[in-house]
Amino acid sequence: MTVTTPARPSTAEDVERALACDDPGASTLAALLSPAASTYLEEMAQRALALTRRHFGRTVSLYTPLYLANHCSNGCEYCGFASDRPQRRHRLEPADMVREMDALNDLGFEDLLLLTGERTQLADVGFLRKGVLLAAERFHHVGVETFPMTTPEYARLADAGCSGVTIYQETYDPVLYDRFHRWGPKKDYRDRLEAPARAMAAEMRTVGLGVLLGLADPIPDALRLFQHASDLRKRYWRSGIALSFPRIRPEPGGFSPPFPVDKAMLARIVFAFRIVLPDVPLLLSTRELPAFRDAMAGLGITKMSAGSRTTVGGYSGEKPDDAGQFQVSDERGVPEFCAMLRERGLEPIFKNWDRIFQGAGNG
Amino acid sequence: MEVPVTVEDSWNAGGHRFSSRLLMGTGKFRDAKTMADAIRTSGAQLVTVALRRLAGGSGGTDDLLGPLLELPGITLMPNTSGARNAAEAIRAARLGRELSGSPFVKVEIHPDPRHLMPDPIETFEAARVLASEGFAVMPYMPADPVLARRLEDAGCASLMPLGSPIGSGRGLATAGMLRIIVRDARIPVIVDAGIRAPSEAAAALEMGCEAVLVNSAVAAAGDPVAMAAAFARAVAAGRDAFLAGLMPRGADAAMASATSPLTAFLSPVSP
Repeated sequence: MTVTTPARPSTAEDVERALACDDPGASTLAALLSPAASTYLEEMAQRALALTRRHFGRTVSLYTPLYLANHCSNGCEYCGFASDRPQRRHRLEPADMVREMDALNDLGFEDLLLLTGERTQLADVGFLRKGVLLAAERFHHVGVETFPMTTPEYARLADAGCSGVTIYQETYDPVLYDRFHRWGPKKDYRDRLEAPARAMAAEMRTVGLGVLLGLADPIPDALRLFQHASDLRKRYWRSGIALSFPRIRPEPGGFSPPFPVDKAMLARIVFAFRIVLPDVPLLLSTRELPAFRDAMAGLGITKMSAGSRTTVGGYSGEKPDDAGQFQVSDERGVPEFCAMLRERGLEPIFKNWDRIFQGAGNG
Repeated sequence: MEVPVTVEDSWNAGGHRFSSRLLMGTGKFRDAKTMADAIRTSGAQLVTVALRRLAGGSGGTDDLLGPLLELPGITLMPNTSGARNAAEAIRAARLGRELSGSPFVKVEIHPDPRHLMPDPIETFEAARVLASEGFAVMPYMPADPVLARRLEDAGCASLMPLGSPIGSGRGLATAGMLRIIVRDARIPVIVDAGIRAPSEAAAALEMGCEAVLVNSAVAAAGDPVAMAAAFARAVAAGRDAFLAGLMPRGADAAMASATSPLTAFLSPVSP
């Protein structure tokens, strides 16, 4: 993977040219992410709003995460599921999955994201496939955010009704990647980097990419993310991509991010990506505070989660006794969140896909 | 050809007669009420809705079918947006017919999410199968005159070439090809996608297109309902202009022929 690094720091003139650019690419993004763009935030926001409205209209798609298990053999320094964290480890059995999924169905969700930690004996591809099969009977769109797999493994999930794979590289800085992923299969940088292509080769409809903001300098990370996405889009033209920019949240281990990203920088990253990739869904989770989420809805951001739990299960019945992967910042329920969207002139879309498209095969 | 403008001006697709030449999409609106108000104001009689936005009776808050069925005088046209190939589109079309009861289907197969350009090969295959099953097939297609002929021969009810890529708002970038398609077609030609301004819709009607379909241009406008009204007037004006017959192009050529400076040497009296 080659990365375009600007030969000289961007100037105000570069930013203005980027904002007026008809055919934006890597150099446009570099200018919009550069420090020179910090005084152009309002102009970027205006452009991002116009492009969001043109491509997505006045709508925000909703999804919900469901953690199926928190077993993990990795040593990610920033994660509440890391194997050295004092978590109660457990997984959902099929009956629990059904109960949790029914509770999410009752809230109106049609787009479900299933999550686990690293591949373990208790949470392997077979376990995940069971979850996908149950989910596909209840939700029109099912995605997974879990460990990297082989193309045949991804194909097994696709056959079971899985349409999307989310796999964040966390950081594209191999040195820092190695430092923060202290042990476990996730230490293999290249295996993770190549997983999205394997998912697309298995004909997954959408692949979600992202960087975990806070681990490394966000500007080079964002540029490499763009390059990664661009390469994938050229190779697998029938698959869609979606991007996400999660910021590190407090977790049970008390990790402190070495490159904290403030909300202005996060907003700038979102605006810049909306401008260079106007058609790509950009996601924002409940990691962020309500005021920020409210303002970003429809302003670059087109897909959001609501009412999320990061514990294993937790939507039906009693609150589970594990501590969750990270703390959510927006604890509003789904009706309250939807009311906010409507008040801002945005329609919450629960169903933007139909299972009829899944498994029709080619030809 | 003399066209009396006093008789009711209507057009026909799949055995259904429509007087409105403005077709509307239903996506991207801020809420169902704005969508319904815009459609009502537009006077549209044929309205497309993505199958992926129909809840099929499970009745989510975002299900579009309920609000659409409440609109009087509307014929629904489910579309297969989301399909990557003919097999998926055919399945979606069958389910759409079940849910909506409409014989119309807008075949949309745009596998590349970057520009949503229709796949001509898969579109042709889906159209061929669905037409043989009795659907009134309305294929969203590239502005390709040969593909237009093939789709017509396959039994489509209309042709829906794009003005420019979906959501791009670049207007009638394909105008030259559209003119050829309109000239050759024996079924209605409806420009679908790319239209941003009412003037562009008027231009499509002026060139002889039977109708236009708009969605983003209305849903993403500052005031969608007012924009729907503007489109309705523009489409009517464009149609009137077509019926009235535009002044021939090339007035300068006509003047040249009066004096014939380039061909005077051919005259018998020239030296």
